[in-house]
Amino acid sequence: MDMLRIGDLHKRFGEKEVLRGLHLSVPEHSIYGFIGKNGAGKTTAMKTVLGLLQADAGEITVNGEHVVYGQTATNRYIGYLPDVPEFYPFMTAREYLRFCGEICGMKKAENESRCKELLDLVGLGEETHRIKGFSRGMKQRLGIAQALLHRPKLLICDEPTSALDPVGRKEILDILLAVRKQTTVLFSTHILSDVERICTDVAFLNNGAAKIQGKLSEMKMRYRREEYRLETERETDITILRKAFPQMKSVGQNQVVFSANDYAAEVVLRFLADRKISLLKWEREEPTLESLFMEVTRK
Amino acid sequence: MKSLHAFMKKEMTEQLRSGRLLILGILFVLFGIMNPAIAKLTPWLLEMFAESLEGSGMTVTEVTVSALDSWMQFYKNVPMALIAFVVLQSSIFTKEYASGTLVLSLTRGLERFHVVVSKSAVLFTLWTAGYWLCFGITYAYNAYFWDHSTVRNPVFSAVCWWLFGVWVIALMILFSVVTNANTGVLLGTGSVVLISYLIGLLPKISRYLPTFLTDGNSLIFGIAETEKYMAALGIAVVSALLCFSFSIPIFNKKQL
Ligand SMILES: Nc1ncnc2c1ncn2[C@@H]1O[C@H](COP(=O)(O)OP(=O)(O)OP(=O)(O)O)[C@@H](O)[C@H]1O
Ligand SMILES: [Mg+2]
Repeated sequence: MDMLRIGDLHKRFGEKEVLRGLHLSVPEHSIYGFIGKNGAGKTTAMKTVLGLLQADAGEITVNGEHVVYGQTATNRYIGYLPDVPEFYPFMTAREYLRFCGEICGMKKAENESRCKELLDLVGLGEETHRIKGFSRGMKQRLGIAQALLHRPKLLICDEPTSALDPVGRKEILDILLAVRKQTTVLFSTHILSDVERICTDVAFLNNGAAKIQGKLSEMKMRYRREEYRLETERETDITILRKAFPQMKSVGQNQVVFSANDYAAEVVLRFLADRKISLLKWEREEPTLESLFMEVTRK
Repeated sequence: MKSLHAFMKKEMTEQLRSGRLLILGILFVLFGIMNPAIAKLTPWLLEMFAESLEGSGMTVTEVTVSALDSWMQFYKNVPMALIAFVVLQSSIFTKEYASGTLVLSLTRGLERFHVVVSKSAVLFTLWTAGYWLCFGITYAYNAYFWDHSTVRNPVFSAVCWWLFGVWVIALMILFSVVTNANTGVLLGTGSVVLISYLIGLLPKISRYLPTFLTDGNSLIFGIAETEKYMAALGIAVVSALLCFSFSIPIFNKKQL
């Protein structure tokens, strides 16, 4: 079953059409990477799911229930971490979590134990200072803790790692991986290595619609290009190669790429063996998300 | 109910830790003491300056002060207390819009009207407590220093002014949900009060306007009868209730 389903979502701000018919389905227990460049409309789409923005057209269901603007009934299924989480600066982390628990009507004893458990999970268990003095990384971790408080079925994180250093990024990604068993994660980002590290599904948002979406593994398979790259030790060998195989493209020093459609790999390999050309590198090119991203956003 | 209670607790903690509660407390107590003190000190001050005043051609006759003078001070100072209160609290909504702190509470399942109800309850409670504290202090000193029987309608006139404050705060809440910035709240509230005051200069209509309630002096001197204030009282109550009940649906549809 799909935990979140967005159908034909439209949203404009004045003249600017940000979302033009966005379709998205997020399967249960997936970690869904929502990729798009700055200003693509990721935050807009997420806020609409939370009922914080009014859509011009379209339909959103969370766990099978319709989202209504201004009402927050479906939000009981959702934990939300905004792009820049803001908390009451006069509270401590523990007080803030307790406050959140009280708001969603948790029992006192359960609230206490859950707060402790989560603060330990995000590494703020020993923190007694007020939020006023927190760093961005600490705020981000407290943000995840508050989002997970009521054991949501869907965790929505808006660029959770953008502001963090590599260590902080890894910590956040590890937390997201750890909670996957209990919940579904939808997170937006433009850091592609994060997506490759933890996501099971991805969607590329461009021009207000999801250009391509689906399982990350399938997508890599589908966009796999039959390309090889090879590097020789001597520069003269490149000239010999390109004379024999005119379709090879030279890229950088002593490197060429060719498509398997032009020359079969074994033919090239035999040629190399016959001429005793010594190789430094022979690799099959994997489609990177980067190349996909570029391809999608160029169109 | 639990979330309403939690949010109200948060509001009170904020008032306390931001120091606003302390400032208001000091302000109202100070005004409460100042009213009788100024009245009490007036003759003494005049005597001190008497010689220099005589030198400039003015003669100072013996002045006697009574509880009425202290109450006049009260009605002169209480507008300043209200202005300070409004300025201090005008950001109670707008600060949360600007920082985005409400978004998380609302996505947690906090009902939107709980926000309006909590903040309003805190505002009305603080105003009521502060105002009557100030009133109580002034009253106690007045009764101790002077013969208080000369003062007419001391409580009724105070209730009128208190209700005027409630009306202003209701306006402030309405403008807080309509506009997004602090200045909008202050300008909106200020202009409505000013307009009410200006229209009140027309003698025929004046007694129907909430600003009429601020005329405590006529009541304590017994110049005006209490019946004359009933229309303004009724209108202030109804319009305050209207402001409050409009605030809730407007806030429900507000984009945060
Ligand atoms: N409240 C608003 N009023 C007017 N325009 C807005 C508003 N919110 C967003 N926009 C516009 O909508 C577009 C999409 O914004 P959005 O924040 O959704 O992008 P994003 O994908 O989250 O970008 P980023 O990666 O920078 O966070 C932007 O061009 C922005 O100018
Ligand atoms: Mg964004």
